[in-house]
Amino acid sequence: MSRLAIAEQFIASARDAASTGALYEALARSCRDMGMRYFALSHHIDFARERGPSVRLHNYPAHWEEWFDHKGLGRSDPIHRACHLSSVGFGWSKVPAMIKLTPQDRCVLERAFESGIGDGFTIPASVPGETLGSCSFAVNSGQAFPNEVQHVCQLVGAFAFEAARRLSGSRSFPTDQGPILTERQRDCVLWAARGKTDWEISVILGVSHETVIQHLKHARERYGVQKRALLAVRALFDGSISFSDILKH
Amino acid sequence: MVLLIDSTVTDRCDVAYRSMFAARKSVFVDLLKWDLPVLDGQYEVDQFDDDQARYLILTDSNFVHLASARLLPTLRPHILGALFPALCAQPVPTGRHVWEITRFCLGRQVRSAQRRLLRNQLVSALVDHALANGIRTYTGVAEMGWLQQILSFGWQCRPLGEPLPTPAGLLGSLEITITTATPAALAAGGIWSPVPASRVPARRAASA
Repeated sequence: MSRLAIAEQFIASARDAASTGALYEALARSCRDMGMRYFALSHHIDFARERGPSVRLHNYPAHWEEWFDHKGLGRSDPIHRACHLSSVGFGWSKVPAMIKLTPQDRCVLERAFESGIGDGFTIPASVPGETLGSCSFAVNSGQAFPNEVQHVCQLVGAFAFEAARRLSGSRSFPTDQGPILTERQRDCVLWAARGKTDWEISVILGVSHETVIQHLKHARERYGVQKRALLAVRALFDGSISFSDILKH
Repeated sequence: MVLLIDSTVTDRCDVAYRSMFAARKSVFVDLLKWDLPVLDGQYEVDQFDDDQARYLILTDSNFVHLASARLLPTLRPHILGALFPALCAQPVPTGRHVWEITRFCLGRQVRSAQRRLLRNQLVSALVDHALANGIRTYTGVAEMGWLQQILSFGWQCRPLGEPLPTPAGLLGSLEITITTATPAALAAGGIWSPVPASRVPARRAASA
């Protein structure tokens, strides 16, 4: 079967999949057809703690999933962190060059290898306003990753993630509620995210210090958070501000 | 307030067109750093912007560009056929009912939360336009990160070939099938946001 035919067959199966079980089977089959052993499709959240529409489908060894959740790795997994830095798929061998690996990260990667999960390739899946996710494929420990299938992995991963979104009900959220913050509140949140103090923000915007304090207080109330640091996170998550807004100005 | 200017039914609205070409320069040249020709230091215009190109432009009440897409007929040179045929495993889809979506552009002045609504309105306008004008298939070339968003709109997509690395990034080609079921598919994904008919400038008679 040609590489593209593998993707086309997967896409047709994914479109027809009426359950996550059917999607799982389609992924397992395509994974084998591409010459790989493992696949994992997931939103990047802590599955042990969070509820709500999200997806996780994988054929990693069961004890790996238990250990992964026990450690709350859904949020700190080094591969998942690297996903923030790339809009396209990347090989796991590139990760040390993309992010700074902590000792815990190295422990996670070693443990994966010991569990039989060898070299892999991850396709980040980013839909604005939704939790980041990814789809990964891997070979057995000690095997070489078939680099010629990278681009087809990219296609299968993208269509798989979309099928999973559809099946999990992630798409039935009302996404057009309108902005949570007023324009002025948003300006203050953005400057705070850029590291400015309330007083510095008042100078930048040409308003009183007290006004900025009130804007940020109201912004915290609207998001239901107590801490200034969480404002940027919430505003990023719902799309009121973006990473580019914060870092490039 | 958002207006929809469809170049097949509305008089040329100079403010909308000019601000569209300026927005394209800001997005594709300044932000995305594509290697494209710039006219007069302000406008991004290429060889496909001729009288056969169609534009769907969302504007504010002063006709200033908010978002737009360019549609190219496929029975003559277009981006997939002329520039990226290697992205198709089979012959490039062409025909009277096949149009290519290019330069999908959201103005940089639009704030993040409003961007999503505008994006949805533009996608919905593309679907409406197809249904009203007998277009059954849209094709397009997209960078792979953007491709995920395109899939998330819920319309029926299939790749035409394997993605290929290029100087502009990892690019893939898509074929999007439009049927009368497409609006419902977009609605299921929370995307369907047609611009109200009252916000479309009236058709002017050719002789007026």
